[in-house]
Amino acid sequence: MSHEYVPEIAVDREGKEHKVQGWQDDIYGAKLGFWLFMFTEVLMFGAMFMALTYYYTLHHDDFLIASSSLNRVLGGTNTVILLFSALTMGLGLLKMKHGDVKGAKLMIWATIVLATAFLVIKGFEWSAEYHHGVFLGLDALQAGNADSKPFGQILFFGMYFTMTGIHGFHILIGIGIMLWLLKRINAGKVSPEHYILHFNIALYWDLVHLIWVFVFPYYYMIGAGLTGGAH
Amino acid sequence: MAISDATYKEEYKRYWLVLVGLLLLTALTLIQPTMFMENATFAVQMLIGVVKAWLILMYYMHLKGEKEIIMFTYFSMFIVLTFFVIVIGIDVANFQYGDLSHIISGDEAAAASQTHGAAHAEPAHH
Repeated sequence: MSHEYVPEIAVDREGKEHKVQGWQDDIYGAKLGFWLFMFTEVLMFGAMFMALTYYYTLHHDDFLIASSSLNRVLGGTNTVILLFSALTMGLGLLKMKHGDVKGAKLMIWATIVLATAFLVIKGFEWSAEYHHGVFLGLDALQAGNADSKPFGQILFFGMYFTMTGIHGFHILIGIGIMLWLLKRINAGKVSPEHYILHFNIALYWDLVHLIWVFVFPYYYMIGAGLTGGAH
Repeated sequence: MAISDATYKEEYKRYWLVLVGLLLLTALTLIQPTMFMENATFAVQMLIGVVKAWLILMYYMHLKGEKEIIMFTYFSMFIVLTFFVIVIGIDVANFQYGDLSHIISGDEAAAASQTHGAAHAEPAHH
């Protein structure tokens, strides 16, 4: 059952009716507000990238060796998956703006499937790393015991699990808000006339993709030129 | 209907073109460390990342033509970066906890590790 969007009406002293501008109509304000939110996300990840760069300058060789041990096939596959998910999300918004609500919903579902695939692959990757003894809390990443990796590698893997974990959490949130978006579309609250929510969720998804654009080369590719350690 | 058929077709085509560009750049990312400029992998990878980010920001995130949002973003980044560099610069210049910090260079870490090991080897005097 769909509910048509009904704007609020205010009546002035002379009895004239005026449509109240709600957030549904304030495209520019909603867009600017969401950019402000995304800026806080960039600050968080930016600080982590700066720390990573600083550690890289201190422990250059350890970082390259640790990077060469990551699975670039799985990392690369996830990169391509996120690329296509950004496309499906964008096309979904375009279809919504064009009036093709069914097509838009199909594209959102495609994005959800791709996002889930990303998490499944990331899960396999983490699981393999755990079974190789490389995971947060295991001896290899704890300083001061016989199995400890060199200090620079402990830093590298600590940052790797932290950043890919936070990024994965953002993917999970993305799936949640896409499901919510579908619910809002089904309820008629998001439509070809009022699509700002869809627009901002697409922006969020692009931000998640944008962060991965730097996470991938930072962790998987900087040591790819080393022989011996790469998968 | 919010946009015309012509605009829809034009934007649809642009989405796919940008995807092709991003896929080509991703391929470049994957082959670069073993194919060319092997001595500058980090710089080249980051450069490719910046180009990809620009494509995503301009076309997928619709920043192309959004002068006010771009200016707002640049201004915010400039303010934050300036204060960040000043605060971190002051902190680094007056760093007081070198003995306690693990965030030290490889040589210093090795030296600290030896000192730490020697300290553990000594019997405790309580």
